[in-house]
Amino acid sequence: MSRLRYFAHRTAITVALIFLVASSLFVFFRLMPGDYSSLLVQQGMNADQIARLEAKWGLNAPLHEQYVRYITNLLTADAGQSFRHNAPVWDLVRPRIINSAILVFPAITATYIIGSLVGTVIGRYRGGLFEKSSIITVSVFHSIPDFFLGILLIAAFSQTINIFPTSGMLSTETAVMIGGEPFWHRFFLKEFWMHYALPFATITLYFMQYPALIMRNSVVEVSNQEFLHYHRLKGLPRPALLRKLMRHASLPVVTLYPISLASSISGLVLIEIVFNWPGIGRLLVDSVLARDFPVIQFVFLVAAVWVILGNFLVDLLYGVIDPRVSVGNDNNE
Amino acid sequence: MKVRAGMMRWWCKMSDPILEFNNVDIEYQTRGDNAVHAVNDATFTIDEHDYFGLVGESGCGKSTIADAIVGGLDDNGEISSGTIRYKGTEIQNYSESQFNKEIRWKEISVIPQSSMNSLDPVMKLSQQAVEIAKYHTDLSKAEAIDRLRELFDVVGLSESRIHDYPHQFSGGMQQRAIIAFSLFLQPSLIIADEPTTALDVIMQDQILDHINSLKEEWEISMLMITHDISVVFENCDTMAVMHGGQIAEAGNVVDLFDRPRHPYAILLQNAFPDVRYPDRELAVIEGHPPQLREKPDFCTFADRCPWSIAECYEGAPDPQSVEGDEDHQAWCIRANEMDELAADHLTKPAEGRSILEDIQ
Repeated sequence: MSRLRYFAHRTAITVALIFLVASSLFVFFRLMPGDYSSLLVQQGMNADQIARLEAKWGLNAPLHEQYVRYITNLLTADAGQSFRHNAPVWDLVRPRIINSAILVFPAITATYIIGSLVGTVIGRYRGGLFEKSSIITVSVFHSIPDFFLGILLIAAFSQTINIFPTSGMLSTETAVMIGGEPFWHRFFLKEFWMHYALPFATITLYFMQYPALIMRNSVVEVSNQEFLHYHRLKGLPRPALLRKLMRHASLPVVTLYPISLASSISGLVLIEIVFNWPGIGRLLVDSVLARDFPVIQFVFLVAAVWVILGNFLVDLLYGVIDPRVSVGNDNNE
Repeated sequence: MKVRAGMMRWWCKMSDPILEFNNVDIEYQTRGDNAVHAVNDATFTIDEHDYFGLVGESGCGKSTIADAIVGGLDDNGEISSGTIRYKGTEIQNYSESQFNKEIRWKEISVIPQSSMNSLDPVMKLSQQAVEIAKYHTDLSKAEAIDRLRELFDVVGLSESRIHDYPHQFSGGMQQRAIIAFSLFLQPSLIIADEPTTALDVIMQDQILDHINSLKEEWEISMLMITHDISVVFENCDTMAVMHGGQIAEAGNVVDLFDRPRHPYAILLQNAFPDVRYPDRELAVIEGHPPQLREKPDFCTFADRCPWSIAECYEGAPDPQSVEGDEDHQAWCIRANEMDELAADHLTKPAEGRSILEDIQ
């Protein structure tokens, strides 16, 4: 019962939070100095043309009407029109979300799996050379700004030893060639994976520090817990003990996983620019430069929802792996 | 009654030893070439169906002895010499998997020191029972849960609580659950390592009563480790007193109570309140046991002992049999002079009856 209540509680909070973010975004974008019409003036439109466009886009309606329309449109999955491309925002953003997601999710997931294993090993065998060199390595990679790490990798693997392409997702010829085919066909091309390797490596190396070091500390802490000794005295074999150790030690790492996913989206802006990866980060930068604020506003919403859903996921996961987590007090004692 | 039954067993040598320690040394390696010699030359015997108490202050090596019996020493600990026999078989060189296969839980189970932190917090108690069954028996899941249900009844917990998590239990309930787990495979020997330390006095009393009755009903041998000598006098048949990694005195509880011959055992008794002398000032044993960076070739109590002489520092003491008692030994070179030297510490009721019999 308490677990069900816990899930319901988390869901309610998540929905409320997304609504709050959407509303705040509306307010903040209306407060921003500079509006779209000033850009139209620069493009040589006269007042009449501007007024007509503003009427068409609803920009001259009172704010509360705009707000109601904005929320109702969001609820019906309509994110509005891009000023710049004169196309629905959703159609612009959707492929970009996919492109970013296929980069970030596997990269961060791999980071956490590899990092946890490294952390477990250095937590078990403390004081050795392996521990010191691992800690120094992951710290160095995290101390370099991620975009610069990307540039270093390009310099090393694309310029010096020419194995990987410098940028993009596919070469122009291939992109034209498979243009009409479904999106996922590219996963069968070696070329796609060659383009994928460097941005993937950049994210993995940059974020490795968190899971590795947190897992190390956590393993050290859990190793000294009484219940692990008790498990050993009960005659559990070594592999079973290691599984228990890792399950307990992974709790803080699990919390951190979606936070890394979320924070990677900000790092992604720069990494996508360095590697010319057609993801959501690059779309954001392009749209900001063009003051295409329906797109910017929606990209921000997507980023926020990304973070909130990540945390929601962890809350749910936590409820499963650690039964002590629940809302309120329902202790029987 | 209980004590006398123990005495009978002791005197008649009715049963074989279940656990024998012979000159056991246990060391912990520390960083660099240093080692801590936690237990030195420990020798004692626990007989079948015996209720054995091991007393000593914190850090004297009692828990190390408990861990050594079930192969639970930390990775840096090792038994460097001596033999530990369980039912006649030497087990001191057993590997981890031999301990798992032959000793742990099936033969010897443990009631650990900190019950509050010993149950896995993310597993239901029923899951923890199923786990024991999985690694040691052919019991099915349902059978294992039924078994736990029976044991919950035995230790006085409600059977409906077996699917709870440990954090839903109070401290005393967790301790009972741990006792239920220790009985799960009907072991021959249970090691209770300070089973009541974390509990309030009323709960302590209940838990000890429980352990005592289980010991009788289940015909289990028991090794009780505690720093509370009165708990041992009240419950055990035989006992050993430890100080600074050495056994100070071992023997029948009544003998040791009436005729302690090691200065530490004598002073320890005076350090606990006695209902017959409510106004007596409690003795304080000054000083600290030595840091055991090297294997002590002296009596580790000598620095704190009011009767120590130069010879006490010349070699670790050999056991001296106490005259008139069977299997009562004191590791003190002056053991046989002690009744004169410590005469004023050894006042007992005139009628020559042990207070232990009054308690019963």
